[in-house]
Amino acid sequence: MNDDFRPAAQDAASQRLEEALAHASSEDGRIRRRRMIGGGIAAVAVVGAASAWGLASRGGADATASGSSTAGATTGGPVSGGTLIYLDAEASRSTQPQGAGTWQDSAYLENIADRLIWKDPATGELQPYIAESWEISSDGLTYTFTIREGVTYSDGTSLDVASVARNLQWQADGDDAKGIQPSTQWPQLEGISTAGSTVTVTLLEPCAEFLDVLSGWAAVLVADATIEAPLESQQQITGIIGSGPFVVESEKYGEKIVFVRRPGYDWAPPSLAHQGEARLERLEVHAVTDDTARLGTLRSGQADLIRYLQPADELQLAEDPAFQVLSAQGIGATNHWQLRVSIPALQDVRVRQALQVGIDRASLVSDLYTENWAVALSVVTEDTFGFVDLSSQLTHDPAKAAALLDAAGYADLDSEGYRSRDGERLSLVTVIDVYDSTAKPLYQLVQAQLKEIGVELTLRDADYSQVSEAYAAPDVATVRSGWPYPATWATLRTQWAADGTDAFSLDGADPTLDELLAAQAVATDPAERSALLAELQQHAIENAYVLPLLKDSQIFAAQSDVQGFSWSAEARPLFYATWLDRP
Amino acid sequence: MRSRYLITRILQAVLVVAITYLLTYWVLFALPGDPVANRLDNPQNPIPPGQAKAIIEYYNLDQPALLQFLITVGRLAQGDLGYSLGTGRAVSDMVMQGLGSTLLLALAALVVAAVIATGVGLLAVFAPWGPVRSLARLVPSLSLATPSFLIGLLLLQIFSYQLGWVSSLDTESLTSLVLPALTLGIAASPSITQVLIQGLTEANGRPFVRVLRSRGLSHGAIATRHVVRNGSIPALTLLALTIADLIAGSVIVESVFHRAGLGYVTEQAVRSQDGPIVLAVVLLVSSLYSLINLATDLLYPVIDPRISITESRLGASSPSSRSTRPAQPTLTEGA
Repeated sequence: MNDDFRPAAQDAASQRLEEALAHASSEDGRIRRRRMIGGGIAAVAVVGAASAWGLASRGGADATASGSSTAGATTGGPVSGGTLIYLDAEASRSTQPQGAGTWQDSAYLENIADRLIWKDPATGELQPYIAESWEISSDGLTYTFTIREGVTYSDGTSLDVASVARNLQWQADGDDAKGIQPSTQWPQLEGISTAGSTVTVTLLEPCAEFLDVLSGWAAVLVADATIEAPLESQQQITGIIGSGPFVVESEKYGEKIVFVRRPGYDWAPPSLAHQGEARLERLEVHAVTDDTARLGTLRSGQADLIRYLQPADELQLAEDPAFQVLSAQGIGATNHWQLRVSIPALQDVRVRQALQVGIDRASLVSDLYTENWAVALSVVTEDTFGFVDLSSQLTHDPAKAAALLDAAGYADLDSEGYRSRDGERLSLVTVIDVYDSTAKPLYQLVQAQLKEIGVELTLRDADYSQVSEAYAAPDVATVRSGWPYPATWATLRTQWAADGTDAFSLDGADPTLDELLAAQAVATDPAERSALLAELQQHAIENAYVLPLLKDSQIFAAQSDVQGFSWSAEARPLFYATWLDRP
Repeated sequence: MRSRYLITRILQAVLVVAITYLLTYWVLFALPGDPVANRLDNPQNPIPPGQAKAIIEYYNLDQPALLQFLITVGRLAQGDLGYSLGTGRAVSDMVMQGLGSTLLLALAALVVAAVIATGVGLLAVFAPWGPVRSLARLVPSLSLATPSFLIGLLLLQIFSYQLGWVSSLDTESLTSLVLPALTLGIAASPSITQVLIQGLTEANGRPFVRVLRSRGLSHGAIATRHVVRNGSIPALTLLALTIADLIAGSVIVESVFHRAGLGYVTEQAVRSQDGPIVLAVVLLVSSLYSLINLATDLLYPVIDPRISITESRLGASSPSSRSTRPAQPTLTEGA
């Protein structure tokens, strides 16, 4: 299944042909589309016609890819061996699992370490991995995992029940003495016990997403030697001893990491098509931060795969048959702006709602991005559990925005065309996302769109080092958040709840929000939880605490003979089944 | 007398390094933000205040400023530069890795710069054709006006991407040094070339040249044996100080050629305000500056016997006020 991810776009001419073919065989097209976006079958059933997803162009791209991928294949089946050169856009910073905040570090972790649970990237379904099976008590408090036998870490020690128990305790507690944080999604723990081949985890209160938590990069299982090592050692990829399909051979700080395949690896998630050892013998990851250098190196054939392309380069490369452009959208939160209600102008819900409909999301995508990007339909992606389509409330409607602002008292226009109330201009401040090098044009376009409805948005640049202070400044009205997360709702709860990081600066002023966040977390009945999550999304968007914008896309480009490249559910690249179709 | 002068100068150098260190520490402390705060407030994975406390305590960030400073200096006294707050790597390892890579690059670039400067300087002063001389005089401003990332990308484009002569990913072999050294050398050459042209022109106009010419010496012999020796003293001084510029310039070149040298390490550390690394780099670079200054001061009398350390000079406000030397660069420039 995982081998079946297809390059997203390749040849413009064949694209039109394939679009026609895809149209003719709409059933086939729908299947591809589902695979491509990692969408759940259940979600399809709920939402109905695929066009309702607003994904028509993506469907076309998928169909193209399937066509050219077949054309590009010159030999029979997958081959084992070879070295893949991958250029990442950033260097590894810190791989301490519970604290692995950077995208690339979580990606490297997922390739060298296994988790208890596998989340199918196509369906979001939770499947066996190191846990062969599990049972959940009817009160949702006790989880009993049966651990797969014969699994070892790369240092030769055994990944047995004792090791699993120790890992889980460590994830839940962190290690204060070493400055190691607990996993922020972990629920309150009563205790962990082992018996035979099972590990039993007892929670203080039910946790609907507990298995999701255990499927994420922060829940990688590591050897005792890693847990016992100081933080400084765990922060380096060479200090992480996992049981995954690859092992770190060496790292040169800031330049490259060499992974080699783990001999004897035989415990991939049973649902994967590929089993046994990884196909690639070696994987070299180079940190090449310069966009031009990364692309030039790929084009000259010195690299096989690169992460991140400027949209303009993406279009150009997609037309070159020697290359394939691959994109993935993970399961989780969509990119959104969180509004802070502590800002006087934003205390009136009508002002926030005006911003919600004052933004033209469709033109954000069409003006700045490619067909590999799509607008957000809610605060989470379609394949996230509990998703409801709220796009009708996110439609661009300047007339409605004007009416809302008039009603809120911002009826006067000043000399520069901005609305004001009692002589005070409706003016908001935001900080341009420093973690995303393409953020600036996006912010500028939103700024221009809001000017159309008479709202002034001041963009503030921040130094990477001072981003915390810049975000925390009392006059900042909105900051960006929302990416694919293993346990989406648990992460959003940490961000939104009054007892979390209180992203909307509500300080408990909206008890409904806190109640919904708390209730969905402990709801163990899927139907009940879906209803709560629907209400939660409705509440967050209706009150315009969040302005969902886009779905986060990860764009890669590869030589056309790179096959079997796939992603985890959070859109991290997995090299396990990857192979090179070359002599 | 000489030993007293030496001791005073060494003490001055140590004082300069100490004050620089103190100022840098203070600036880092006064400026908001550090990698730990970034980790705690990471929008992808924010950490609630309760859990953050243990992490803040681990790094002693809850302690008063003075105590934090004393802890740091106490460790420094034991030769412990600490660990990077952002990446957990030993600062000494990172700085040594960076220094090794950058020194090699800087030395190679210095050779390139010296070759360019000599070639262009000689052409600009001694070329028998006027147009060539004018053209050569344009070279320094031209290379000064071209950003080094552009030169780097151009060289990569031609020699790596198009011709495939060198790998754009290799950073270890000697051939991998060629393109970055060329880039950095071109960037560092203009000031040396300018000073050399000026020095040669000045020396060429001196009366002794006319005397030599009247004695019947050939044009080439005058140029190579006499004018170059007399006219290149300022350029030589500048060349030594260019080492510092090279370290600073390596930031851009290393980023284009993805070499994790000292420039890269410093850039990353400053970007995330990773205190321990910034402090170590400042300590290293300020020591290097002071050492080079000290060495040049002490070497002057050796190179030119007319310069000597006399009693009266000792009493002068600062030994570095001699007009033959360019102004002392700002100490924190490299950081």
